[in-house]
Amino acid sequence: MTESPTGPTPLLEARGLSKDYGDTRAVDSLDLTIAPGEVYCLLGPNGAGKTTTINLFLGFVAPSAGQALVDGLNVSTHDRETKRRLAYIPEQVMLYRNLSGLENLEYFAALGGQGALDRNRLTEILVEAGLERETVGRRVSAYSKGMRQKVGIAIAMAKEADALLLDEPTSGLDPKASNEFSALVERLRGRGVAVLMATHDLFRAKDTGTRVGIMRYGRLVTELSTAEIGHADLERIYLEHMQANGGSP
Amino acid sequence: MIRHIARKEFTDVLRDGRFRWSSILVGALLLVSLAHGWDQTRKARQEHAAAQATAREHWDTQGEKNPHSAAHYGIYAFKPRLALSFVDEGVDPYTGTSVWLEAHRQNDFLLRPAQDATAAQRIGALTAAQVLQHLLPLLIILLTFGAFAGERERGTLRQLLATGIGRRELAAGKALGIAGALSLLLAPAALVGAAALVVANPGPAASPLARAAVLAGVYLAYFTAFLALSLAVSAWARSARTALVVLLTVWVVNGLVAPRVAVDLSKRLHPTPSALEFARTVEQEMATGVEGIPRPDRDESTRRLLAEYGVESVEDLPINAVGVYLQESEEFGNRIFDRNYGALWDAFERQGVVHETLAVAAPLLAVRTLSMGLAGTDVEQHRHFASAAETYRRDLMRRMNGDMTENSLTGDFTYTVGAEVWEAVPPLQYAAPTLGWVLGNRGLSLAVLGTWLAGAILAAAVRVRRAEVG
Repeated sequence: MTESPTGPTPLLEARGLSKDYGDTRAVDSLDLTIAPGEVYCLLGPNGAGKTTTINLFLGFVAPSAGQALVDGLNVSTHDRETKRRLAYIPEQVMLYRNLSGLENLEYFAALGGQGALDRNRLTEILVEAGLERETVGRRVSAYSKGMRQKVGIAIAMAKEADALLLDEPTSGLDPKASNEFSALVERLRGRGVAVLMATHDLFRAKDTGTRVGIMRYGRLVTELSTAEIGHADLERIYLEHMQANGGSP
Repeated sequence: MIRHIARKEFTDVLRDGRFRWSSILVGALLLVSLAHGWDQTRKARQEHAAAQATAREHWDTQGEKNPHSAAHYGIYAFKPRLALSFVDEGVDPYTGTSVWLEAHRQNDFLLRPAQDATAAQRIGALTAAQVLQHLLPLLIILLTFGAFAGERERGTLRQLLATGIGRRELAAGKALGIAGALSLLLAPAALVGAAALVVANPGPAASPLARAAVLAGVYLAYFTAFLALSLAVSAWARSARTALVVLLTVWVVNGLVAPRVAVDLSKRLHPTPSALEFARTVEQEMATGVEGIPRPDRDESTRRLLAEYGVESVEDLPINAVGVYLQESEEFGNRIFDRNYGALWDAFERQGVVHETLAVAAPLLAVRTLSMGLAGTDVEQHRHFASAAETYRRDLMRRMNGDMTENSLTGDFTYTVGAEVWEAVPPLQYAAPTLGWVLGNRGLSLAVLGTWLAGAILAAAVRVRRAEVG
């Protein structure tokens, strides 16, 4: 993480970021900054541009205009360096069915540049991520979605990334698993990790996030501090924005 | 990084039940076909050695007779089975392995296993070369079609690339992992093949181990080209199913369609007569001669000899006029044979060039040509032996007619000789072509296979770099 004279450089920053798919503008002039230790939740309906925003930070799609920056580095020109600073957990963490949870973690950790972490340490990370110790050696084909998500979190933890990109990470998880997930995110935040989480879950966004941004038609229509609003306020504001101009949430 | 990817891919493939079963099947087929080929080669060698000894014994013990009668009695020559023929029997089942060497005739080869094979044997006869040329690429396709397309569909490609690894690193690691798994299948077969080559009598092939090393290199290039091509298609295809369909189409074109097209096209471009037509043509030309190759006239031959020696009658000649005429007839026949067989062999070679050229569309054609060439079972090496056998036949006829010419002054066939003349005839000493000779003939196939390898790797590099994350 680098420091500027005016404070820490935002770990994640979008500057006038836009992405067009043909005639459709998926992300429209997005400006946002996420500092270390901040959890920024992007709310919005399907097609609002949340996943495209994450893809832009991952360099999976090239921006039509503007820049996505990770620790001050332009993703478009520093693909490998920016990815080294990021961890990513998708809506459904997909793992290799023929490998155990531990072997999957070992593999992704090695690819993430963590070198050779010993198996005991990796096992501890999996347990810390919420996996039962006796399940870490089982093949992933026997894992539930919640267990796979925990391996995903463990992958992010093992990478010791500066920033975490989460794309609907609690979708489909039962309440207990969702709570455990939120607790893990909270722990990472406490370690100074910057988190960008795309979600539909207003309750989770209010509970986990430090800031919330609402997106619609690719535009960031409002930003709120979760410390200043309650659950009901967030729901009301969200619905107001979704219903404006005949939209639906 | 590549090491980690390769290790994971290797483990993943080994734990995949589909790979285990298919590799057990292919590995078993490979070992069985190698063992069967080796056993066949061993038996054929034993049979040839026994038959050759018997033929020689018959020649040596044929008793007192006129040398020209002995020339008609003739002797068999057996084409040696080269060391690597147990891997690829090539055209041997169709061209035959023995030839009867007799006066006035250049006979066709006999002992063609394909003639004697039942329909079931024809279907079931699977050589190690066929397993390597057809089934290994299929296995490579089945292991590789999902390398990118499958990862993309499952969603793991996003997670992999999010770690910061490059697409080319991923492709290289996957290729190495799959190659490692395949090597578990191929290593036992390679060891068995090498042991068979070293332990068994390596046979008359020049530098059999060098031939085996080049053969291994050819197959390695072929498998690498298929692996790279499969990676390219997997990176390009939108779904694993599309990748599989495209690659299976490539496999069918390569293994089934192209060889059939090559056979038909080469015959259309360079037609060859049927065996019956060929025999009739030779027979007719032998009977009448052709322009530029007149049939020798016995009276004319005698008149020329009388004039040459300045005598009035054949009784006054110091040599046998009949022997001279018989040799002239032999040489006339040789020119007719050279003309017809030469044209036939040339047509076969031009057909071979069509096959090699069509390898641009199907690498199997190049690999098959190289494999047969290195195993010593291609048309060119059959021609090489046939030429050696024919040279030996002509020398034998020259000896017999020469003996009659020099030693029988009576001009009739009552002159006879015995074992001392037969035993003085040296056996056919055949030296198989060198590796350099084989590769010199197969330059086009080597170039095409090299182009396929380079093209497939380039295609993989380009497609992998552009592979969508999904």
